[in-house]
Amino acid sequence: MVAAVPAALAVVVVTVPSAPAAKRPAASTAVGVSQREFRLTPYRTRVPVGEVRFNVTNFGEDVHDLVVRDARGRVLARSAEVRSGGRLTLAVKLKRGRYRLSCDVANHAQLGMRAGFTVVKPRGGR
Amino acid sequence: MARRRSAPAPRAGTAARRPPRPAASAARRRGSSGWTEAHVHRLFWRAGFGATAAEARAWAARGRAATIDWIVDGPPGGTKLHGPAPRVDGRKLDPVNEWGHDQLWWLDRMVRSNRPLVEKMTLFWHDHFATSEQDTPRMLAQNRLFRSHALGGFRPLLKQVTRDPAMQLFLSLADSTKEHPNENYARELMELFTLGRGYSERDVREAARALTGYRSKWTNKGFQGIRYEAEEHDDGVKRILGRRGRFGVDQVLDLVCDHPRHAPFLVTKLWQFFVAAPPSPATVRALAATYRRSGLQVKPVVRQILEHPALYRNLAAPDLVKAPVVYIAGALRTTGSAITDNWPVWLSSTMGQQLFQPPSVAGWDWGPRWMSSNAVRQRFVLGNYVVNYGRPRVRRGAYKASLRPDRAVAIAIAAVGSPPVSAAERAALTRLARHWFDDIPKSWRDKADWRAESLQRTLRHLLIAGPGAQLC
Ligand SMILES: [Cu+2]
Repeated sequence: MVAAVPAALAVVVVTVPSAPAAKRPAASTAVGVSQREFRLTPYRTRVPVGEVRFNVTNFGEDVHDLVVRDARGRVLARSAEVRSGGRLTLAVKLKRGRYRLSCDVANHAQLGMRAGFTVVKPRGGR
Repeated sequence: MARRRSAPAPRAGTAARRPPRPAASAARRRGSSGWTEAHVHRLFWRAGFGATAAEARAWAARGRAATIDWIVDGPPGGTKLHGPAPRVDGRKLDPVNEWGHDQLWWLDRMVRSNRPLVEKMTLFWHDHFATSEQDTPRMLAQNRLFRSHALGGFRPLLKQVTRDPAMQLFLSLADSTKEHPNENYARELMELFTLGRGYSERDVREAARALTGYRSKWTNKGFQGIRYEAEEHDDGVKRILGRRGRFGVDQVLDLVCDHPRHAPFLVTKLWQFFVAAPPSPATVRALAATYRRSGLQVKPVVRQILEHPALYRNLAAPDLVKAPVVYIAGALRTTGSAITDNWPVWLSSTMGQQLFQPPSVAGWDWGPRWMSSNAVRQRFVLGNYVVNYGRPRVRRGAYKASLRPDRAVAIAIAAVGSPPVSAAERAALTRLARHWFDDIPKSWRDKADWRAESLQRTLRHLLIAGPGAQLC
């Protein structure tokens, strides 16, 4: 009944060296992502340019992962596998444009574990 | 309503935070009809997340009726959060997207709301209609639903909960169809939500048929909500709880609400949320009568419980174990501290209570079962955080080693918001203070003020997280 302690968290940082959690780049946006069989749901689908931290929670029973591709299908970031009930952060710097999120485990993407994602210029510009 | 220990110089916008002034200073400690600060502390902990020193003083002077009115009906002007919104890592909370911020967001309401009973009842419903493992946006939506119905009618709440997407997906009521009825929701509806017992497996099966027809909608943009589709609903004749008819969703909900077992079931559960000792049969009858007479309104029942003498029994020897989130939010609220970091999230989950993630549809195990050995250890750790980062922080160079032990204890008690402290606890703390410098030769004492700081830290830690702080 007692939930897992934070030590169980896998934190995968792609573009930023794993530094003490305190300081993050100013332009960093969190995007919650839920996974279950066979759905992948980002809680926010438009974010400003900069670092995007995908906070993935696997609510399903299978193992899943998270892969970020640009519009041409090039893989920009790939997470480790997330076990059932597990969580993981995938951080990636993204320019303006459209991106695809998917789970590349087995044929999960084909079964529905994929979603679109847009990075826009922040309001007011930067 | 003030959350700070001593009233600061008036600033713009702080007027609303100040509690009403006592009518006369003679009435400070003891109000009319034996209503004391100890009563106020008891009520505020049971109905909310503790009282500050200023609240205890002011409401003891205002008397019992005014205090209970304020708790139950709230201040005029509606719900407000006092003080600045929390910032974690220099940013505003992002409850939807950042892990743990959903919990911090709610804990912050428990700490800063001027309607503590509403937050406490929201917690009651979160446990009563326990839903878990659902996407954060839907859990937050369900939380808003509980809050808006916190003290309202049970029937409309049940009707909303039955249609709530998080609940529907959790108990597979969504996509329970005429062809494939799913019994999960019907079973918990009777066992956990409304009756407890007094129904049969057949009632569950037939109610499941009556509850069919909801479909979840998904597109490549994700979840699009729940819709009722009449052609998926089983409109045949059902036999439920001794009644026969072509029952639909709301009729089943009415059947369980009107069942003779419902009122005693719900009022007993409410009582157990506020009072450790079980209710007498006469008390259950009286509460159930109030509940039925009001048309299944929750507020008059809660008011009657909060007015009941049993709630104020043994003021010097509290017997209700504070639930982890109540303990944490209460420590912050009563000491005038704010949420500034993530620590409440992992601390409450290691104490056995992670908001938005109850262990099962039956909710959490309340009472003494909170006190596992690991949870007790984590409860003690809370003292570190509040003393190091909260308002009871020990100021450098502010305390003398020559301070009398009882004075040192009094300063520590005031610094943590003047919580109720039993005579035995005060004596133990004073003893600790008296021997704190024993290993230092007398002639060095005037150089030992740094040790007075460690004494203050220790006393405050023990007041916030010691045995006396675990119960209310
Ligand atoms: Cu997958």
